[in-house]
Amino acid sequence: MTRMGRPVTESSTMISARAVSKSFDGGRTQSVLDLDLDVRPGEFLVLLGESGSGKTTTLKMLNGLIPPSSGAIVVDGEDISRVDQVRLRRRIGYVFQGIGLFPHLSVAENVALVPTLLGWPAEEREQRVDELLRLVHLDPEVYRDRAPSELSGGQRQRVGIARALAGRPRIVLMDEPFGALDPITRDHLQIEYQKIHRDLGLTTVMVTHDITESLLLADRIAVMNGGRLVRLGEPAELIAEPGDPYVAQLLETPRRQAERLGDLLDAGKGAR
Amino acid sequence: MNANLARQLELLPLNLSHHVKLTVIALAIGVVAGIPLAILIARKPALRSPVLTTIGVIQTIPSLALLALMVPLLAVVSDLSSRLIGSGFSSFGLYPAVLALSLYSLLPIVRNAVTGILGVDPTLTEAARGLGMTDRQTLLRVELPLAAPVIVAGLRTATVWVVGTATLATPVGQRSLGNYIFSGLQTRNWLAVLFGCVAAASLAVTLDLLIGSLQRAVAERRRRLAIASIAGLALLFGGGLVAPSLVSASRGTSGKDAVAIGSKTFTEQYILASLFQQTFADAGIPARRVENLGSNFGLDALASGEIDIFVDYTGTIWANAMGRSGPADRDAVLAEVTDWLASERGIRSLGRLGFENAYALAMRRDQAEALGIRSIADLVPHARDLAIGGDYEFFERPEWEAIRRSYGLDFAREDTFDSTLMYQAAASGQVDVISAFTTDGRIDTFDLVLLDDPLGAIPPYDALLLLSPRVSGRSDVISALSPLVGSISNDRMRAANGLVDRDTDKKPPSAAASALRSWIVDPEGAD
Repeated sequence: MTRMGRPVTESSTMISARAVSKSFDGGRTQSVLDLDLDVRPGEFLVLLGESGSGKTTTLKMLNGLIPPSSGAIVVDGEDISRVDQVRLRRRIGYVFQGIGLFPHLSVAENVALVPTLLGWPAEEREQRVDELLRLVHLDPEVYRDRAPSELSGGQRQRVGIARALAGRPRIVLMDEPFGALDPITRDHLQIEYQKIHRDLGLTTVMVTHDITESLLLADRIAVMNGGRLVRLGEPAELIAEPGDPYVAQLLETPRRQAERLGDLLDAGKGAR
Repeated sequence: MNANLARQLELLPLNLSHHVKLTVIALAIGVVAGIPLAILIARKPALRSPVLTTIGVIQTIPSLALLALMVPLLAVVSDLSSRLIGSGFSSFGLYPAVLALSLYSLLPIVRNAVTGILGVDPTLTEAARGLGMTDRQTLLRVELPLAAPVIVAGLRTATVWVVGTATLATPVGQRSLGNYIFSGLQTRNWLAVLFGCVAAASLAVTLDLLIGSLQRAVAERRRRLAIASIAGLALLFGGGLVAPSLVSASRGTSGKDAVAIGSKTFTEQYILASLFQQTFADAGIPARRVENLGSNFGLDALASGEIDIFVDYTGTIWANAMGRSGPADRDAVLAEVTDWLASERGIRSLGRLGFENAYALAMRRDQAEALGIRSIADLVPHARDLAIGGDYEFFERPEWEAIRRSYGLDFAREDTFDSTLMYQAAASGQVDVISAFTTDGRIDTFDLVLLDDPLGAIPPYDALLLLSPRVSGRSDVISALSPLVGSISNDRMRAANGLVDRDTDKKPPSAAASALRSWIVDPEGAD
């Protein structure tokens, strides 16, 4: 952790958004409206919503990929509109929806991208690549020199996660990272990532439309609808007290599925 | 035939190396200018359409015209630069050729590069930004590598185009494989024409294959193939850049001191250039050849010292350069032209070579006899039923205007031909009358008759031996050339031309020049 350098701030927020709005087409399309959100250090926060809810736009504003139309975003104590955008992004890990591995680079080159941009010496980069590939359960000997096209979907997303972590970021932003995976691979990766998140003490903001996923992974869930933040709370709080008709409706499906599964499990026990 | 082939092979190192040099420099400029231009217009959509339209329009200019237009353009620039910074540059040869070819290569290079860059998956460019790449890093590490196959495809297209079009550099004074084609056409040496075409095609295919395999090697990360293709390209390119001077050096024709012998694009001029070269060789004066100058570039090249020795014709200078027209006395024209050259252009005339290569109207002997035509005046009642063929410039020249006006001629059709094909067109009856040259060997070969010009509409065309200002004071050059003045009669010149232009037992211009020299030394052998 020597590379991190900076002392951990005593502040209780790692990321905070104040009155952030984003409109496109010169104000005709309002994507995010008057958003206030604080992400705590070490927290796993999920931005939950349907497509068009503004959740991805919100995520992209957090590392400056999209500049807000109004409002302020503070990351690690700094207003991001006043810092070097390139250096800001190199400090924040990003896992892309389409995975976004570069097809002309090998697995190792993809993973080593941010360290390369940061100017790490080659030996240190290679060590880091091997370390990260092992972290995401890919044997470096086997996968280091492969092309992304030679990997399965799950392996690709593992590389995507390794790449996001390569520059030792304290914050990781993830945009629907597990959306395109089959259920079993998704389950594995979710558990593995949650462990990485805890072990490395990361602050993670993840965007998803998958309610079950958000309930299983999140420390807190921020539910977005029509560009507004409609509910923020821990999964148990949300289930106990939706507090908003939209949130209640959202949680209805997983609640019903859970009850049905519970009945089946009970029936199974009774039959034994 | 074999001797002919051997002659062409002997010229190959010189012509090919110049061709490669020309191609390499033009493509390098095309890439260096084209890729940044493509990046710029990929970033700025407002510029895209104007830029692509402009380079598309350049592409529609016929290549020969584009190359020729660069000469006056560069002359203006050179003039400007010599006024501003005190040094000009040559507006003939390499520079205009390279400039035109680079412009030509822009379209495929720019269009493909723009298409390639814009075709990169936007999620990848966003990923690049999201990971913290600067715009420059995104371009160099993501966009250009991913667009590379499309960019290289454009480069390959440009390469094939430039190799082909570079053959047209010959008329602006730049040696290339086009020398085979142009001199082959003029001397009816079809083997030379074919040889030039095959050589150009082989070069194009070779370059295309090498660039293609380099691209594949990079895409598939095959180190050995990459090294092999780079070595091949480097060999060709490096060879092309260095070889012309090596080849010239080995022939003793390089160096600023060598006397440059210019020639226009027809047989007589090739023979005379060979004659001067042999004369200089005997006198121990280093000389080099600048062949296939477009008709109107010669005097300019002479005045500026691009070439030192040139044969031009009084009537051509009188009508084209001096803008005079109307009937004129032969000696009066000679005197005025000589004065004009010296005072206006600083060119020294050593005098008449002896023969007159005039424009004259010619017909098939049988047809002329059948119609009872002996002079242009006799043509007048028949002209409406007859077709006339002229070389590229004839119908635009003041002589034609003078003939038409003096005699009131009006033909049924006016066809323009390459002068080689024009004689054949007359012989085969495609046209009835042609604008022949009085010393052309093909007049005898095809059994044509020259028509008299009783009204003197066509000015005299005495061949003048001209010296550039640079060598006009060199006594060794003048004493070597002086014996040639007044020594070549019409018959001798036509006989020498005939040796080259005939279909059977064709001789190369150098052999015809040797024959001409032997007739000058031993007048009895003329017939």
